[in-house]
Amino acid sequence: MKINPSFVENVLCSFIRGEFGKFNYQKAILGLSGGLDSSVCAFLAARALGPKNVIGMILPYKDTFGEDVKDAQAVARRLGIRSEVIDIAPMVDTYFSGHPTQDRVRRGNKMARERMSILYDISAKEHALILGTSNKTELLIGYGTIHGDMACAINPLGDLYKTQIRELAAHLGVPAGILKKKPSAGLWPGQTDEGEIGLTYGQIDEILFRLVDERKSIKDIIAAGFAKKTVEKIATLVRNSEFKRKMPPIAKISARTVGHDFLYPYDRNR
Amino acid sequence: MKTGSNCANFFIVKVALAQIAPRLGDVEQNLQLHLHFIEKSVIKKARLIIFPELSLTGYTLMDLVQEVGLKPDESPIFRKIKALSRNTDIVLGFVEEKEAGVFYNSSAYLSAGKIVHIHRKVFLPTYGMLEEAKFFAPGKNFETFPTRFGRAGLMICRDFLSYGAAYLLFAGGADIIIVTSAAPGRGFSERRGFATDRMWELMGEAISFFSTSFVIYSNRVGCEDGKTFAGGSFVYNPQGKLLVKASPVEEGLVFVDLDLNEIRASRKTWPFKRDDRPEIILRALERIVRKYED
Repeated sequence: MKINPSFVENVLCSFIRGEFGKFNYQKAILGLSGGLDSSVCAFLAARALGPKNVIGMILPYKDTFGEDVKDAQAVARRLGIRSEVIDIAPMVDTYFSGHPTQDRVRRGNKMARERMSILYDISAKEHALILGTSNKTELLIGYGTIHGDMACAINPLGDLYKTQIRELAAHLGVPAGILKKKPSAGLWPGQTDEGEIGLTYGQIDEILFRLVDERKSIKDIIAAGFAKKTVEKIATLVRNSEFKRKMPPIAKISARTVGHDFLYPYDRNR
Repeated sequence: MKTGSNCANFFIVKVALAQIAPRLGDVEQNLQLHLHFIEKSVIKKARLIIFPELSLTGYTLMDLVQEVGLKPDESPIFRKIKALSRNTDIVLGFVEEKEAGVFYNSSAYLSAGKIVHIHRKVFLPTYGMLEEAKFFAPGKNFETFPTRFGRAGLMICRDFLSYGAAYLLFAGGADIIIVTSAAPGRGFSERRGFATDRMWELMGEAISFFSTSFVIYSNRVGCEDGKTFAGGSFVYNPQGKLLVKASPVEEGLVFVDLDLNEIRASRKTWPFKRDDRPEIILRALERIVRKYED
């Protein structure tokens, strides 16, 4: 679970540089939430591509998360990258005035997709590629909004657990205030990931690491001293979120079908 | 001591490891990359340049395999590269359409304008993120062949992780074992580098020492579909001593001088080659295989 942060930094920066070179893009754009993952991603992008080639979009809902906006702006200032604040409340409120709901998940998903929609539009305007910030923990347990915060062109962080991202963040010099902050998807005020999932990232990552990286069975993990309820809960989250990690299945009828046996690499001729 | 001479007693050979990042599926562009690196090696008076696995095509080809396959005897691309092998021998990787519609992951040894040897990858990794056997036919042999520097043998990437394959080259009299590779890095910890780096070095050290041969490992760099190829090309001498190790990420040429006298010197100290008993191993293997079939 421990990482060598400078090695990881090198690999991820050369990944970012390589992908941008292949697709002939200079500029990167990402949503800056003021949290850990997007801050780390901004630090890596600024190092890989140069600060003038990185755009941080700060997309709050009204002033619900005032501190986060300030933290995101501080990251942008610290790195010398461009940033812009757009309040998503007018778009989100207009929609929900026609379809009112108090369902926090529906409202949260709508906000995540509103942010995605803005990122894609500005990326087209700026000829920039969107950097994803979903980490391995979130991807595995499905803690993300499909077509929302999970949408991106490339994802440099998707093979690092939250615990490992914290280690990388400290090495990169991410401000201490952000390092100490309780992780939150920013779906509603006072929401924290750990509160919503009911487990700490430390607990989740220890179990996921054994389950995924070390290919241990649920039985073996429980036998090693982890609470049965917790292990089973995490295994269920992983099992039930496969749809978020895959392209949707296409009904195969023809002799050669997209996604089944029409098989070309993403980096074709790159 | 003469550098690069054919004098049998004093023989220093400059070898160039071309740690490149080919463009996936773009043979024409990769030909230019090869010509560029060969030219640079020739200027530095290298006598042998070694490109990585599938250097003409890139690795993660999938259905592109059928579009980039070539027949080396007829290929104009091969003709251009062969022409440059008059004084500098060249090892490169490509997709070979040996029989119509049947494709191999192959490497070729070129010398004096000719194809001296073609090796077809035998062990096609097909598990997890690797799916070579879906797209390639497996090769069936490990053979050594004469070069101006002694007998050589070729292996491609996963082939090298079979100590049986390395033994066949040893028993076949190899003085130089050349491994071309497109090995992605996997696994990480507090230590610098990928966990898999050690696996290749371990094999390089062990095989060079126990076969009393040079082991040259040429791996690629760059990223394909998110996989990072871990570079780190290296050469071990016949005493199992690391002579050179390239960067894990940088594209570029790494030069190393091989003193071919070390082959003889190591075999005087450690008579592994003299004492080898391939006929015993053959008979034992036959018995084992016969039992499988029962």
